[in-house]
Amino acid sequence: MKKKALAFAVAALSVQAPLSHALEVGVLLDVYHKSDETALNGRTEGFGSSHSELSLSQDLGDVATAQMTWVGEWNEEGSDLELEELYIQSTSLPGNISLTAGRFLADIGYLNGTHSHADSFSERPLMYKAFLGGHYYDDGVSASMILPTDRYWRVSAGAFGGDELGEEHSVNTVGTWTLSTEFGDDFGNNSSWQAGVSYLRNRTQESGHHEDEHEEEHEDEHDHEGHSHSHGAEYQGESLYLADIVWKWAPQGNNRKQQVKIAAEYAYVDDLYEAEVDHYTGWYLSGVYQFAEEWSAGIRHGQVELAHEHEHEGEHEWEDSELNETSVMLSWQPTHTQRLRLEYRHQDAKNMEGEDNAITLQYQIGFGAHAAHSF
Amino acid sequence: MLLTASKCSTAKERVSKYLLAALLLIVALPAQALTVFTCEPEWAALSRQLAPEAKVYSATHVYQDPHYIEARPSLIAKLAKADLAICSGASLEAGWLPALQKRASNRKVANGSIGMLYLSEHVNTIEKHEKGFFSTEHVHPEGNPHFHLDPERVAQLAIVISKRMQQIDPEQKNQYAESLQRWQSEWQRSLNGWKVAAEQLRSKPIVVQHSSFSYLLSWAGMKVVADLEPNPGVPPTMTHLQGVVATVKQQPPVAVVTNWYQNDKGARWLSEETNIKHLSLPATVDLEGDINDLTKLFDHLLAQLQGSN
Repeated sequence: MKKKALAFAVAALSVQAPLSHALEVGVLLDVYHKSDETALNGRTEGFGSSHSELSLSQDLGDVATAQMTWVGEWNEEGSDLELEELYIQSTSLPGNISLTAGRFLADIGYLNGTHSHADSFSERPLMYKAFLGGHYYDDGVSASMILPTDRYWRVSAGAFGGDELGEEHSVNTVGTWTLSTEFGDDFGNNSSWQAGVSYLRNRTQESGHHEDEHEEEHEDEHDHEGHSHSHGAEYQGESLYLADIVWKWAPQGNNRKQQVKIAAEYAYVDDLYEAEVDHYTGWYLSGVYQFAEEWSAGIRHGQVELAHEHEHEGEHEWEDSELNETSVMLSWQPTHTQRLRLEYRHQDAKNMEGEDNAITLQYQIGFGAHAAHSF
Repeated sequence: MLLTASKCSTAKERVSKYLLAALLLIVALPAQALTVFTCEPEWAALSRQLAPEAKVYSATHVYQDPHYIEARPSLIAKLAKADLAICSGASLEAGWLPALQKRASNRKVANGSIGMLYLSEHVNTIEKHEKGFFSTEHVHPEGNPHFHLDPERVAQLAIVISKRMQQIDPEQKNQYAESLQRWQSEWQRSLNGWKVAAEQLRSKPIVVQHSSFSYLLSWAGMKVVADLEPNPGVPPTMTHLQGVVATVKQQPPVAVVTNWYQNDKGARWLSEETNIKHLSLPATVDLEGDINDLTKLFDHLLAQLQGSN
């Protein structure tokens, strides 16, 4: 599945088509210092670079566009380079339909489809880190459509190999599939909103043979506490339900001067793998106020309700656990391509280890072409 | 029982009659009016004059900085239904239009399609910058995209827009050609008046904030002696403003101009400090206000500049 999808995307990239727009190349560097390790860590302690990007995009005539993104990170523990996107997307189908094939970000939730360099905080919310490994991209295909209503209404569906979701390979060819829909509109001249619901079906650990489940339980005994940074989703179930809502306000719609952005998402994981509890949940609420052209400040609170296994009188038992996190940040954008962000994060945990408070100083700088941001 | 059955059948008949009527209506409907999406309001105003029957929607308005626009749901819904999209181009909309195109997945307005018209590709731009890969400046290598403020370039672009409309909607070719002719003769008449007004502004010094009015000032032959922005797109800083004060004292300008969507704190400070008149001018047409077409916009801008002369 993976190889086929990649081969397809590469073949498509080399198609000789009349090019209306030249190849665009962009680089984004993200360097930081973080004072302490935190639970569900997105950045490791000390100096490092996280999610620095090299991206290439190219229109293939008026038929399709192609995009490739390499993401690199290096820190005191090592370095890593990953191909996050390599896909082609049709631009010539009728009925406001588009097809995507290759490796790309799954179209679920609010943040998942956006590049993390555009985030308002230095790390993704807890629910993203616990249930999607920060952000979920994979090899697959998807289709989306804008319905011919006056109000914006979009539906999309995707099918993926599933190898990129967790730490393990998927046992099924179609490891995951997704469904999502979103609506949105303006409220007068000053504000606009978008709301969506999505579903991720996770078949990566289902083999259909129940005896396998017990083996997996034991495999999972190595704990993740020592491993400070994980790419995969650690807390998985057969079904993940997501709901999101975003509201943005700017006087007269002029977001250059001032803007308020409120976003909230909710996640519910059902039919859990491994854990012997009913479900996991997570949510976050964030508010960011850009109070001058170059300055913004924000606060985010998030929570995940999980479960952890521990040994009690020689027996393995599952216990509900909970992690709460509040982040406050101040960001300065001296030029169009640079950003300096100072963030303080406070964590509270119940039956979970690794929680701590941390201060992160993050600097981002972009060179060359910079892709347009979605809402 | 019988009664309800007969009622039912009449209701059914009525429904099928309506359906038939609706179908006939669809078949018999005259050619659909063109749906035009413009990135900037000046092209919406011009499109309305060149295609009075068309449904025209502007993504932005005079109080918004067209560099910074959210690719919000309502704009996606509008672009999804457009037959023709008209944008200045030259990277002005690079921060948001590609996101709209991607989401809207409307093949009529995909890059390279006949329905996606970037006007910068049909006009000579000024202030082209060599932009190195590692440059962090916010400049447009393709040149200044605010060319709607040159009345002669607008005249060229009106032809480009009208031709494109004729290509997309050949059934109404003659109407578009007629509208263009009417527009051209009116524009020529106004242009003669503006040339007279511009004569009085020639060689006069002026201070600006960003290159929003470059085309108008260069067309009128005015001399920009200082820019409040230390670098393109960067808001005025105190150190830079101090430098501007020194320049202004040597060569007193007729005014310091800002546009309606800008933060004019720096300009107001400079005006208080040096007694130079501060002019807040619309950078484009105000579709919902009095200055709702390009003719009125040039009338207004030239009158304001003359008033401060």
